[in-house]
Amino acid sequence: MTEPGHPDGGSRIHETAGVPGTTAETVHTGSGRNRGRGGPVDSMTGRPVLTLRELSVDFPTPQGVVQAVRKLSLDVRLGRRVGFVGESGSGKTTTALAIMRMLADPGHVSGGTIDLGGVDMLKLSEEDMRLARLSRVAYIPQGAMNSLNPVMRVEQQLWDAISAHEGRRNRKELMRRSDEALDSVGLHPRTGRLHPHELSGGMKQRVCIALGMILRPELIIADEPTSALDVVTQRQVMQTLREAQALAGSGLILIGHDMGLMAQSVDELAVLRQGELVEYGDIRRILGNPGHPYTRALISSVPLVGGKSFLRPSSAREAPGSRRPAPLLTFDRVSKVYGKLTALHPLSFTLRGDVPKIISIVGQSGSGKSTLGSIVLGFTHPTAGAVRFEGRDLRRAGAAGKLGFRRDVQAVLQDPYACFNPFYRVRHALAYPYRRFGLARDEAHIRQRMEEVCRTVGLDPDLVLPRYPHQLSGGQRQRLIVARALMLSPKLLVADEPVSMVDASLRATILSNIYDLKDRFGISILYITHDLATAYHVSDYVMVLYRGRVVEAGPPGQVIGNPEHPYTRLLVDSIPWPDPDRPWGGSAGPEPAADHAHVADAPFAYRGSVEGFELVTR
Amino acid sequence: MSRAAPRDRRRDRREPPATDASDQEPVDIPRKAARLRIPPGYLVNRLLTLLLTIWIAATLIWIIPRLSPVDPADIMLGRMAAGAGAVQDADRILDQLRESFGLNDPLIVQYVKYLRNIVLFDFGLSTATFPTKVSALIARALPWTLGLMVLSLLITFFIGNLLGALMVWSHSPKLVRIAIPAAMVFTSIPPILSGLLLMWIFAAKLQWFPLAGAYGLTVEPGWDWAFAASVLHHGFLPALSIVIVTFGFWALGMRGMMITVQGEDYVRLAEAKGLRPRTVLYGYMIRNAILPQITAFALKIGLLVAGQVLVERIFAYNGMGKLLYDAILDQDFPVIQGVSYVIILMTALAVFLVDLAYPLIDPRIRHGSDG
Repeated sequence: MTEPGHPDGGSRIHETAGVPGTTAETVHTGSGRNRGRGGPVDSMTGRPVLTLRELSVDFPTPQGVVQAVRKLSLDVRLGRRVGFVGESGSGKTTTALAIMRMLADPGHVSGGTIDLGGVDMLKLSEEDMRLARLSRVAYIPQGAMNSLNPVMRVEQQLWDAISAHEGRRNRKELMRRSDEALDSVGLHPRTGRLHPHELSGGMKQRVCIALGMILRPELIIADEPTSALDVVTQRQVMQTLREAQALAGSGLILIGHDMGLMAQSVDELAVLRQGELVEYGDIRRILGNPGHPYTRALISSVPLVGGKSFLRPSSAREAPGSRRPAPLLTFDRVSKVYGKLTALHPLSFTLRGDVPKIISIVGQSGSGKSTLGSIVLGFTHPTAGAVRFEGRDLRRAGAAGKLGFRRDVQAVLQDPYACFNPFYRVRHALAYPYRRFGLARDEAHIRQRMEEVCRTVGLDPDLVLPRYPHQLSGGQRQRLIVARALMLSPKLLVADEPVSMVDASLRATILSNIYDLKDRFGISILYITHDLATAYHVSDYVMVLYRGRVVEAGPPGQVIGNPEHPYTRLLVDSIPWPDPDRPWGGSAGPEPAADHAHVADAPFAYRGSVEGFELVTR
Repeated sequence: MSRAAPRDRRRDRREPPATDASDQEPVDIPRKAARLRIPPGYLVNRLLTLLLTIWIAATLIWIIPRLSPVDPADIMLGRMAAGAGAVQDADRILDQLRESFGLNDPLIVQYVKYLRNIVLFDFGLSTATFPTKVSALIARALPWTLGLMVLSLLITFFIGNLLGALMVWSHSPKLVRIAIPAAMVFTSIPPILSGLLLMWIFAAKLQWFPLAGAYGLTVEPGWDWAFAASVLHHGFLPALSIVIVTFGFWALGMRGMMITVQGEDYVRLAEAKGLRPRTVLYGYMIRNAILPQITAFALKIGLLVAGQVLVERIFAYNGMGKLLYDAILDQDFPVIQGVSYVIILMTALAVFLVDLAYPLIDPRIRHGSDG
């Protein structure tokens, strides 16, 4: 990679074509069986389905032209999977949209060519381009949670796609094809009769894959298809996508920022940075011997269970060891029932808070971990049992007690984009609660405090304070939320998936910020996540939640490093490792699934305790 | 709604094993018929709300005029005096009038009688056009208003929403995108002025349309073509003046919703599916953007009668608006009460029907028995 801006696509073809891959065989069978067009199959193996040459995309703005993609050249061949990896703003999605010719105004292709199976995509008429979408190149957009029209049944959304390309078809044929498509992604055909809101996130994502495959396109572009899913569902969806792609023999572009996921999913990797291709080649070569410092940084940003800690060694003084008259937080047989569903089974624990601790609560979506966090924050009232904060039952607390509780317990929530009122500058967002709680002495005091907390989370106060939230990046916003919580000097911080929507390279920084709060300010933290690798590094104690029950609890080295309960093992095995040779899914055997009897019936595994936190086991 | 999903999860265990084992996501497939059935509990709940709304509103209508120091019997006497020059035995007649209107009864008796009467649509006698029954006046005016107002409301709703959508749609012709905001200027004109303007141009100058009335004096009311043509001919200008003035309300509301919907992932996926731009516009964008507009539509049905009083007045159109206008001028309380009651009834019924129908147009909404 001597010339990062001008990678030699041609020579790379030879380099990677020589690598024997299992997918090559799949292309043979897949093409022969399923492909109507494309001519003699054998001679077509490895034919580039997509060729990008010197592709540039510009976004003219009042401040000048932003070059979102700069002279990008690469090939995607039939049956091969190519990963686009990079941070937000690196041009991954822009490239995909340029191929689809769906760039948002005022973005446009300012140079280069996009060749799909011998057709110059940039020269197609609007109507021809429309017909090429889905039938030749399918795009599965980011955020599949909202990718389906909420007022149409799932199958109708498959039908209109078929009709738009092939003209009217009779209902029987449409039905047969939509059922087949859903079946191919592991969904029962009856799923098609449902409306999108009746489907879980994983199912919606599968529907999107079924949709992408239904006309058997030559190229599929999947834009962060699993970013909103938990690890177990992520692995299942990725397997579905791989199987469907292998069956159709199409080329696949997988866009993402998680090196672990890439390692487990693609054959070739394209590393993008600020619109430029900095490295491109076989995934094994790149992971084994990354040529560019940026690639190395991306790889090392993946936190590994048992690996080197991404946390800075704590330079702070010893945690303030204040004696508390009453434990900070006590759960006394707290449970939550919604209708017939028990979101949280009776749970009792005591967090003393004398010595601050980080307690991680891990589990899949729907395991009850967010319900638990919401109960701690006082947003959800338990159906039974009592939550005591510093010895006081929250429900019996008076107005002053509740106000004090609101100040002492702060939250960092998942979505950094939705957490700020867009009408106010950051300055206001930070100062307002400080004033309201009567902590401010005068304006200079507020100013000083704001600058202090901004520096604590590594932001330049002069840069961020006068801005509006939309002028900041997701990572900056999430750090500001930590700063806002810190303004009030809370005693307990509830962090519910604080980094799941942030670029992988920023996760470590933000988690370090949160981690520092413990030692520097003596704040105890409840870290709610489905990401076991980060929980492994930051926490003092881990509780694994499965269907509203704690199934395993103990120090992270025990619980995550060497899981005993089959459910914890399933979670740990579902983590994609940045090592293509390490099987994804862990130990061989039948497909692991969370509803297998051996998971559901396994006994609670107690793996030890930690000072300052007691879990009451029955 | 959020509670419905976990409940479904429970029933999932009985799902056929045909579902892929690796997919632990539960599916409960409701039968279509079951979805459309309205649970009795919900229906009762909605009906009670409907009755409660009507009762509270009817009570308010009854209380408010009684707070006024004006005595309707006085007014009638004054009117008689104005007509005849002088009235003998004024005190006795006043007393008789009070008696015949039941004004001498204790308030609670008056109130109970009133409630019983409005259930039977009996609002008593008009004081201005004594002794015509208020119900007869309303029955005469209501069809005209319903015809004119509902028709113009439907046209406005259709045009306004379509134009609002086209303002946002990226495939709209440039001309459309420039012309619509310009047309919005009309929205800021008060309906009286636009009505007068239309009358001046099309009725007075061009003489294409008649100046006043709901149908021609020469045609006999009946179910024949001549009468229908006359009604349409007479109704055109009032309807047009309403449409011109009110379409902006719908267009702006629709525009706001369309901008939101335009950024939705499902619209982007629809485009990526290679659907025709029109399919995306109607099936994906408008179909979702229109949902809050439909609720607004139900509310407007009732408000229109009150809102277009002046339009009916200008065009001398014998509808509810004109009836209300005249009644206010004459301080004809029974008629005011009757018209207000009908307006409330229409609004409440429209909201009730939309409540029941909403799950049909938005599958995410389900009839919950807790309302």
